Amino acid sequence: MTWLAIASSAIVTYLVRALAFKTALPSALPRRAVRYLDALPAAILAALVGPAVLMPTGTLTRGSELIAAVVVIAVVARSRNLLAGVLAGVAVVALLRLVLPA
Amino acid sequence: MRALSPQRAALAEGWPVLVTVTVVGLTFGIVARQSGLAPVEIVAMSLFVFAGASQFVMVQLLKDGVAWPLIAATVLLINLRHLLMAAALRPYFGRVSTVRRLVAAFFLTDEAFAMSIGWFRRGRTELAYYVTFAVTLFLLWNAATGIGIVLGPTIGEPRRLGVDFAITATFTAIVVLGVRRRSDVAVALAAALMASALAYVGASVIAVVAAGALAPLLVLLFPDLRDKAEVA
Repeated sequence: MTWLAIASSAIVTYLVRALAFKTALPSALPRRAVRYLDALPAAILAALVGPAVLMPTGTLTRGSELIAAVVVIAVVARSRNLLAGVLAGVAVVALLRLVLPA
Repeated sequence: MRALSPQRAALAEGWPVLVTVTVVGLTFGIVARQSGLAPVEIVAMSLFVFAGASQFVMVQLLKDGVAWPLIAATVLLINLRHLLMAAALRPYFGRVSTVRRLVAAFFLTDEAFAMSIGWFRRGRTELAYYVTFAVTLFLLWNAATGIGIVLGPTIGEPRRLGVDFAITATFTAIVVLGVRRRSDVAVALAAALMASALAYVGASVIAVVAAGALAPLLVLLFPDLRDKAEVA
């Protein structure tokens, strides 16, 4: 199961990378398609963040993850520094879980 | 002063990016190990999938017990953007054999795309810049993954220490760093809320693929800023 997931993911990832390198795409992809593809990665990441923040263990959060996510957004928006945001988020969630047990 | 060779330029300009990639690779090794994956599975992911965000997503989905075809579909959606990047790089690889282009394609990442497009747009044509940066990134990513795998079990109980939140925090940070206009915020919020709603009603298996594929349609409701700029 895990190996099938790894193998199939490796294949689709390579095919996408190789396709356009091998034969040039139609250079004028419709503008709407370009905008859609441009927005896709962030949407998928956000789709993972939503449930992980609101329902971290399958039930509604007691608030630790939500507050920590807001801290991450604030720190990264200010500092433009990924690592600073991640460290702040992990620290806040660890502290809050002591106060608000999940 | 003599201009730097393409190889040296790639490392001189790219080192901050390479350092960041190493830190993220280390984090990946740690969280993947703590999620319960076997070291050999984690190593295989970094060697063969070799796509940062996708690998974190895979760890999360495997932990949630999502079936492999849905995992592959999610990874495919995440990496579709590489079609655009490869298409943009393709003209600079015109004089290279197909085999070499297919090898170069394996090492394509967001970072390698960004750095080498910057190089080509300065009028340089040496592909050694792309090769040096992209392959160095591959080596560092895999070395960092390996170190993370070793460190993973020593970090301690992940939930109490908040380490499990590192993936979520990383994704959140990547989304925030990518925001350029209001439509980006709208898409991210819509995707997060839609996925949460689906997970809440018990459809967590399709939550990520469905919300991830539908939310970007929202950008089509916003004015296309690039078109406006071109008209003006």
